[in-house]
Amino acid sequence: MSRIPIEVIVNGVAQRAEVPARRLLADFLRDDLFLTGTKRGCETGVCGACSVLLDGEVVKSCLSLAVQADGHEVTTVEGLAAGEDLHPLQEAFAEHGGFQCGYCTPGMLMAAIAILHETPSPTEAEVRAGLSGNLCRCTGYVGIVESIMAAAEKMRGT
Amino acid sequence: MRDVDYLRPETVAEASALLAELGEGGRLIAGGTALLLALRQRMVAPTHLVSLARVGGLRGITYDPRDGLRIGALTTHSALARSAVVRAHYPVLADMAGRLADPQVRNQGTLGGNLCYADPTTDPPTCLAALDARLVLGSARGDRSLPVTEFLVDYFTTALHPDEILTGIRLPPPRFDLGHHARFHRTAAEHRPLINLTLLARRDGDTVAEARLVVGATTVVPTRVAAAEAFLAGRAVTAAVAREAADIVADAVEPLSDLRGTAAFRRDMLRVMARRSIERLMPPGMEGREVA
Ligand SMILES: Cc1cc2nc3c(=O)[nH]c(=O)nc-3n(C[C@H](O)[C@H](O)[C@H](O)COP(=O)(O)OP(=O)(O)OC[C@H]3O[C@@H](n4cnc5c(N)ncnc54)[C@H](O)[C@@H]3O)c2cc1C
Ligand code: FES
Ligand code: FES
Repeated sequence: MSRIPIEVIVNGVAQRAEVPARRLLADFLRDDLFLTGTKRGCETGVCGACSVLLDGEVVKSCLSLAVQADGHEVTTVEGLAAGEDLHPLQEAFAEHGGFQCGYCTPGMLMAAIAILHETPSPTEAEVRAGLSGNLCRCTGYVGIVESIMAAAEKMRGT
Repeated sequence: MRDVDYLRPETVAEASALLAELGEGGRLIAGGTALLLALRQRMVAPTHLVSLARVGGLRGITYDPRDGLRIGALTTHSALARSAVVRAHYPVLADMAGRLADPQVRNQGTLGGNLCYADPTTDPPTCLAALDARLVLGSARGDRSLPVTEFLVDYFTTALHPDEILTGIRLPPPRFDLGHHARFHRTAAEHRPLINLTLLARRDGDTVAEARLVVGATTVVPTRVAAAEAFLAGRAVTAAVAREAADIVADAVEPLSDLRGTAAFRRDMLRVMARRSIERLMPPGMEGREVA
């Protein structure tokens, strides 16, 4: 079995590892780095529970190999809060009913970060389009969309 | 997924030599979004993945008014959608790339990977066929180029030789001033289109000077409907003209029939899509307007 040396910056920390080529990015994060915030859901690219940022763009870590992240930067849900202080987006999810069981939440948060990065003042339609790669089986999405709209306002400082 | 080796060549010639040497055991990987699903389902079982990530010359988008557009094969769907030159000169292509799949897959998947996988239920082949795209294939033996309609041969089958790599996509300078790529999904949760249709038109006052109409996703390879193009040419779009053209489209295409949709259902939906696309591009009784 061939192991490939990789270096990935995860949540600001340089991580060196030797991984089998077939190791998925999702598995590298969860099973090698113990960053279990990132979820495995469908593992077929449909549900978005495994979403992380790769060089600032949202991607599905079940559709990517760890070796493909070599030399790049990954941000997971663990990278959002500053110590005990939740990110404004996380606060908004808690305040506006952005989750119930919470399984989709890490992926939703990463997709939402990408939306707000590209569109700081999104319309509701833009938020929904930005979440089209993420499934939620509990909330019916209304609370999630409201949370993101509220976070946008907070993050713009209005 | 089976154990596999991972190689990172730096030139097209090197990658091509590896493919020639490895034969059936070698597989290129670009974004990996299609390949990883196939690997996990053991539809393919390569011994070596040959990464394109470090191969030079496969990225970037350039436009020249005489030569047209060049797109590197590793361009992601979202980079295509964001490109200022694509948005300015081929808005229908940028719009298509910005709506296919979902944000994550658009950030990860490449245009080259989409074309080489040759999954019929995708969007770029239809749009690129309408835009007269040619694909450039490189190998250690040199380059050749062929129209996208000759490149796509069958379900998951292309004209690529085993040692060839798709290096770029080229479009001639734009000939049409209006365009729209329509996608039909049976449910909102579906990503892949059941049917898609690209319509391009050149307008002369109130009439269609020239039209281009290609149907995809519901046929094994994109299908150009020349009869509908000929019917539209020289006519002003009225509700009746749009209906008649849509009937021509629906009758000309032999739709797939499978679990996702029967041929009869697909034909009915295609008729509706064709009519709406024509009316959207040149609203009946009004001046045509620019549609992204
Ligand atoms: C959830 C989901 C939804 C999707 N929805 C849509 C949709 O709505 N519309 C749509 O159009 N598409 C859709 N797709 C498909 C998507 O467009 C493709 O998966 C993607 O573009 C493939 O590109 P890639 O770089 O990831 O290819 P890879 O997975 O890396 O490669 C795919 C195949 O092409 C070969 N290959 C790759 N690059 C080259 C090259 N340069 N030369 C030669 N061979 C090459 C590989 O060996 C492999 O066999 C969807 C995919 C997913 C996972
Ligand atoms: S686990 Fe990756 S998309 Fe579902
Ligand atoms: S909160 Fe349960 S899946 Fe979204």
